Amino acid sequence: MKKAYTILKAYKALKKPLLIMKLTLVLMFVCTIQSWAGVNAQTITINANNKEITKVLSAIEKQGNFRFIYNSRLKDLKQKVSVSFTNALIKDVLQQLFAGTSLTYLEMENNLVAIKSVEADEIDIRVTGKITNSSGEAVPGVTVRVKGSTTGTSSGTDGTYALNVPDDATLVFSSVGYEDEEVIVGGRTTIDVTLKSAVKLIDQVIVVGYGTARKKDLTGSVASVSGAELAKQPVLTATQAVQGKVAGVQVITSGDPNALPIIRIRGTGTMLGGANPLYVVDGVINDDIRNINSADITSMEILKDASATAIYGMRAANGVVLITTKKGRVGRMQINYDATLGIKEASNLVNMAGANQYAGYANEASVYYGSGDSIVTKAQLLNGGNTDWYDEILKTGFFQNHNLSLSGGSEKINYFLSAGMLTDEGIIRTNDFKRFTIRNNNDYKITSKFKVSTLLSYARSDVRNVDLGAFNVAYRAAPYVPAKLNGLYGNTSLSNNVGNPILDQDKNNNSGIGDRFQANLVAEFKPLTWLTLRSSYGIDKNNFRSVLYGFKYANQGPDNVFTTSGSNQVRPNSRLTVTEVQGNRWVWDNTATMAKKFGDHNFNLLVGTTAEQIRLNEIGGSRIDVPEDEDQWYLNAGATLGATNVNSGDKSTRNSYLSRLNYNYKDKYFLTATGRYDGTSRLPKDNRWGFFPSVGAGWVISSESFMNDQKTFDNLKLRASYGKVGNDGIPSNAFTALATPNLPYFFNGTEVLNFRLEQLFDPQIRWEVTTEVNLGLDFALLQNKLSGSVDVYDRKTEDALVRIKTPTILGDDEYITNAATFTNKGVELALDWKDKVNNDWNYSIGANAAFNQNRIKNLNGGTAIPDGGVGGQGTTTLSDNGQPIGSFYLWEAIGIFQTAQEISGSAQPSAKPGDLIYRDVDGNKLIDAKDRVFQGSYQPKVTYGVNASLGYKNLDLSVNGYGTGGGKIYNGKKAARGDFRDNIETDVAKNRWTPNNTGTGVPRANLNELPASTYFLEKGDFFRINNLTLGYTLGSGVLSRVKMESLRIYATVQNLATFTKYTGFTPEISSDNTLAGGIESSIYPTTRTFAFGVNVGF
Amino acid sequence: MKNKYIITALLIGSVVASGCKKDFLEVEPQGQTTEVLALTDASAANKLIGGVYNTLYLGGFGKTTVGFLWAVSNDVASDDADKGSTPGDFSPLGEIDNFTHTSTNFIFDNIWSGHYSGIVAANKAIDILNKSTIEAAAKNRLLGEARFLRGFYYFNMVRFFGQVPKIISVPLPSEGNSDALNTRAPVAEIYAAIIDDLQFAADNLPLKGESTTQTGRANKGAAQAFLAKVYLYQKNWQKVFDLTNAVISSGKYSLVTDYNLIFREKSVGGQGGNNNSESIFEVQTGVNAGENAVSPLYSNSQGARGRGGWNDLGFGFNTPTSDLAGIYEGGDTRRNATIIFINPSTPAPATGTVLWDGLRIPSKDSVENDRYNYKAYHSPTAESPQVTSNKDTKPKNIRLMRYSEVLLMYAEAAAMLGNADGANKLNQVRSRTNLLPATLSQANVWKERRTELAMEADRFLDLVRQGRAGVVLRAHGKAFVDGKHELFPVPQAQRDLSGNRLTQNNGYQ
Repeated sequence: MKKAYTILKAYKALKKPLLIMKLTLVLMFVCTIQSWAGVNAQTITINANNKEITKVLSAIEKQGNFRFIYNSRLKDLKQKVSVSFTNALIKDVLQQLFAGTSLTYLEMENNLVAIKSVEADEIDIRVTGKITNSSGEAVPGVTVRVKGSTTGTSSGTDGTYALNVPDDATLVFSSVGYEDEEVIVGGRTTIDVTLKSAVKLIDQVIVVGYGTARKKDLTGSVASVSGAELAKQPVLTATQAVQGKVAGVQVITSGDPNALPIIRIRGTGTMLGGANPLYVVDGVINDDIRNINSADITSMEILKDASATAIYGMRAANGVVLITTKKGRVGRMQINYDATLGIKEASNLVNMAGANQYAGYANEASVYYGSGDSIVTKAQLLNGGNTDWYDEILKTGFFQNHNLSLSGGSEKINYFLSAGMLTDEGIIRTNDFKRFTIRNNNDYKITSKFKVSTLLSYARSDVRNVDLGAFNVAYRAAPYVPAKLNGLYGNTSLSNNVGNPILDQDKNNNSGIGDRFQANLVAEFKPLTWLTLRSSYGIDKNNFRSVLYGFKYANQGPDNVFTTSGSNQVRPNSRLTVTEVQGNRWVWDNTATMAKKFGDHNFNLLVGTTAEQIRLNEIGGSRIDVPEDEDQWYLNAGATLGATNVNSGDKSTRNSYLSRLNYNYKDKYFLTATGRYDGTSRLPKDNRWGFFPSVGAGWVISSESFMNDQKTFDNLKLRASYGKVGNDGIPSNAFTALATPNLPYFFNGTEVLNFRLEQLFDPQIRWEVTTEVNLGLDFALLQNKLSGSVDVYDRKTEDALVRIKTPTILGDDEYITNAATFTNKGVELALDWKDKVNNDWNYSIGANAAFNQNRIKNLNGGTAIPDGGVGGQGTTTLSDNGQPIGSFYLWEAIGIFQTAQEISGSAQPSAKPGDLIYRDVDGNKLIDAKDRVFQGSYQPKVTYGVNASLGYKNLDLSVNGYGTGGGKIYNGKKAARGDFRDNIETDVAKNRWTPNNTGTGVPRANLNELPASTYFLEKGDFFRINNLTLGYTLGSGVLSRVKMESLRIYATVQNLATFTKYTGFTPEISSDNTLAGGIESSIYPTTRTFAFGVNVGF
Repeated sequence: MKNKYIITALLIGSVVASGCKKDFLEVEPQGQTTEVLALTDASAANKLIGGVYNTLYLGGFGKTTVGFLWAVSNDVASDDADKGSTPGDFSPLGEIDNFTHTSTNFIFDNIWSGHYSGIVAANKAIDILNKSTIEAAAKNRLLGEARFLRGFYYFNMVRFFGQVPKIISVPLPSEGNSDALNTRAPVAEIYAAIIDDLQFAADNLPLKGESTTQTGRANKGAAQAFLAKVYLYQKNWQKVFDLTNAVISSGKYSLVTDYNLIFREKSVGGQGGNNNSESIFEVQTGVNAGENAVSPLYSNSQGARGRGGWNDLGFGFNTPTSDLAGIYEGGDTRRNATIIFINPSTPAPATGTVLWDGLRIPSKDSVENDRYNYKAYHSPTAESPQVTSNKDTKPKNIRLMRYSEVLLMYAEAAAMLGNADGANKLNQVRSRTNLLPATLSQANVWKERRTELAMEADRFLDLVRQGRAGVVLRAHGKAFVDGKHELFPVPQAQRDLSGNRLTQNNGYQ
């Protein structure tokens, strides 16, 4: 080490400004430097005739007086010279020796002489080329390395690379999923490489829980999506980009800029704690990945069956999403910059009646079926406007996303540093969202056996939220009221009891700043070749500060903001509410992995422990009369009168022991056995620990000898698995009674704060356990052009934790207990076809579909759970045995009464012509609660996705779409009629039943809210062209002139078109309420994004 | 080599053994009172009872005990009041007005659920009090208060819904599904439980003004008065007589001279105001930081509703009928103290209506309805404003039992028992409002009850008690069906949750 240090010092002296950019070169130089020891003599006598300079130098060294250091690859050292000196000084000798070359020298202490070329890089030649695979597709991300050195680069998105290397170097090309390829440069400047397809897809190494595995080793159902694929779409969260790409994974997105997409893997298997999957980012468990920049992701794996997920035991019941972020690779520094800029708009709205249509409908309802008075007067109509409230509350939003990353590495350190900035303004007025992310993933190889890694990420989000109630208000508000006139707001509350949504948007500021810091330190020690010990400690600090300011405004007097006074929309005092939520989590994993081979028997055994603590602390308060100036929005600036303060917290812990054995025989027969013993503080002491085992087996049929002669199948593998996983996703204290505090009452005129112990609880709640059987077949045929898989599963959740609605005779409405069984049975299919037509053309087509059947069994000892309240209609869903979770339970509208005669004999004697006819199910001539029937649920019976890509020379075109079938949506905003003066949809206004328009399906003009019925239930089937992207990659020839490695420009449309018969905003309802997931009410409409982007590599 | 294996084994062992401390998974609730803490907290007993009183605030459009939905649905069902507001507004209340209501009307669910919230809170408080070790006298007093409230709530329930599940202990949540709890107990059984509770309260609570009681807490007089009313519904005239006599002879109560002042917040010349001399039990409200020491919307829902151009007082529900306005005898000061009359716009100049605090309500062209409930009025200028002037949270104390009702119960019992002293009590009520004495008869007491207690959520239940609800209400133009509409339907939502084990009242099936 000491010697290396001296040499480095010498080099520094030689070339003072040592640029970081040249770090790789330095290392290269250091590694190849040679040195000789010398003795004490000052003059030189030498004769040389037509000899290489190096030979001359070594002859001088042999005399013992001088030592030289130089890079033996310096070209000019090979020049032949003829010199003759007797007792000459070293400087004279060298001056003559180097005449006519680029070489210079520097005398140092102890007769050490450093030799350097003035043209440092001259010795290297620039090699460029393109890397393709056997089907001719460009392979990006291939590491290109000079053998025996640390010089390297990687190929760009178009598969091209460029690298300065010694002309006699050997290049090593390596990439996951391909065999390494070695090529001797031999002075060539263009080297195109075709990586061998001998490496099958199934040898891909993918991330599994607490380790990695070859795809071949898997006995469970795991889907993998590359990071490049995820970063392609202009969306915030990586999971959004998975929509339609993985069979059996339903991703429901919202147009809301900062929404976490709802993900259902193989149906809804739980009701509580969210049916969302577990996220694991770089090995650290997580439940929110909105802080992860998609551009930082290497790959995402989705674990679907118990054999794959059981290693996550209690957290895995809803499937697991593993995310691996990028790391640096040995080689020169790579710089990448991506940018996307675009606009967003609502993809679909509802046409509301205009002022005249509205007045016609409302007045008809009142005059013919109500009090007889007109609701809207002629004067109101003449003096009013014709407002499209959706136009008023919406805007076109700007979207941009910039990512810059640096990565590289040397023998000792690999680094990846990235920064990202995303802006999504949303499509509703005053809405805004910005996110800044920074990530630094480094690996430090301390010794060959000991490695330390750090993964640090910080995300800051600035959000301004809007009350989504505006969508409902805009639906209801009377169209003749102007939104705003001469700076004053239209008084909607006078005309139909809703507030002016524009005023509400302008007079509320609901902003927040989120800070999320994640740090993970991993130490890996390999004391023996077959043993890896790993310890990982991760913290996750998630803070959110929200500031909600409600401006003061009056409905009369000097501060009046309305065109006509007398609104009941008023805020006499400004109010500031500040809330700060601090989340602190730590997770500590310790594992030992033992991998050994005994002949044809391969064993890989993992044992480990993990512990986790989650703490939440919320602190905040509210004040009135805080000044309007944003700089004054602090609690101290408000009045003490009416001040409120809150501070509450939560804490929970988990502790687990885990083990997994992977065994295979001759890479033909595979076995995975997993066991995890989990404890959680969220369950009562006696029921706290649960054991979750799984076993999986795989058989690679194509490796059998009897398959040797066939040419059809490149791969054929059968998988089977069985296992149990759990779920503890319930609130921390569900098994103890907690008091409701701070309940005031006045005694002797003085306020006293009291409490009530009213929370219902089950002191004996226990694990919710999901048992899953999976049978799968993977295949690849026709030289891997066609690949795919089929999976059949049966998933059963027993002792399911449900929030049981109780009769209110128990005080509370509901409590949590184990009281249900759910089943999800289904089939998943995935097919991919990839082909290269010729050197210019290639294409791929993929399709997947999943069929799932969800059922409830043994619910609550037989009592069904109603939910899904809509306006005054009461509940609309009933989760009952034999039905899917959240099934609609409604009267069946079977037509419209046309005549009084029809009515008189019917079950609805008080109906009027034009009213809906409901089916009298029990035939008792009375339409009542017993006539409600199950009408299906929001859960689709099939979800599917298709994607295709086409490449022609430098152009690439890709399209993907997805859809669902068999789900139902209740049009809640249409059904909930809060006031008889609410606006109606154009379709209702136009097509309503009248004595002159009898052939319609729309009932007569109505003052009242109609009861809950199938009239409001619609098919939720849809197909969406989710993304269309056209890209152009510039050739490397052009780029090398501007010092770029790669450049791609593209145009993309997210959510191009949706084909559906559903008449509301969107058939995709992003709801976490599993019992009532398909009711449209105040939802953020889905958005369409048009964007342009660029990817640049340096 | 051997050492290497030992070290390896130790390393692997340490990984596996690196679990946590034994109590790592023992996590107590953070910053929240648990049942265990409640038992050890010295002031817990008081706080628990206070928590039961807090259920008197349940209201708004949600679960309620004596709040907005309870008050207005009782009045609107009777001939005292119409639904009010605009014709289409709040149709569930309109259904009650027209007797077209069904079991899915959410008002019933909220009245049912609100009352059970109160009952369960009382049960829980009683359960913990019984386990606690505080001194016996104080314990019995607190138990008395909890049992008073429970008895009171059951009395509302049995009159409104008839049979209801009888729950007077703390069942486990898992028992929520049991047949026993999901079965409606016979009316007589409920009444027996009510009497048991109120009798305990009457026996253990101090008299008004004693050092151990406070304004706002239930006392002996309140327990006796409500017990008397329970017996009134049972037609146990002797008990009614004895209990009202006890209240009267306690000497703790007297009529407020000026009827106008009874429903004000502040007294005038020592007369009237909150907790006045004739107040026996009332919901205590107040101004506090959270603005939650009120029965939400109680006053606002009944405030005069504007038609635009006027910063109105509220939603305009529960408007006194012209029938009620016409029933008062000439000179009866209660008429103008009970009803805010909106004046016609023509002939000009329209003067509007000036209220007691000087606030002027415009005339009919700017106001939605003809009459409003004066007893629910809370003055925005002369009475306590809420912190944010939020109209929804006006601090209006709700009078639940007044001395005049005790006098009228006494009079009715006396009339039935043939005790001539009843006339004195009846005429004590009449003379306060400048009316000439009337002869003592049950009919005259009934008539007096209507005008004295108008718009105080008594009339409908009283008519049913009197057995003439059908006759009176049909004459008033309502579609009252005998044998059905005496009771309201058991909420369908609760029947669904009980797996239909809760039976339905006659005519609502």
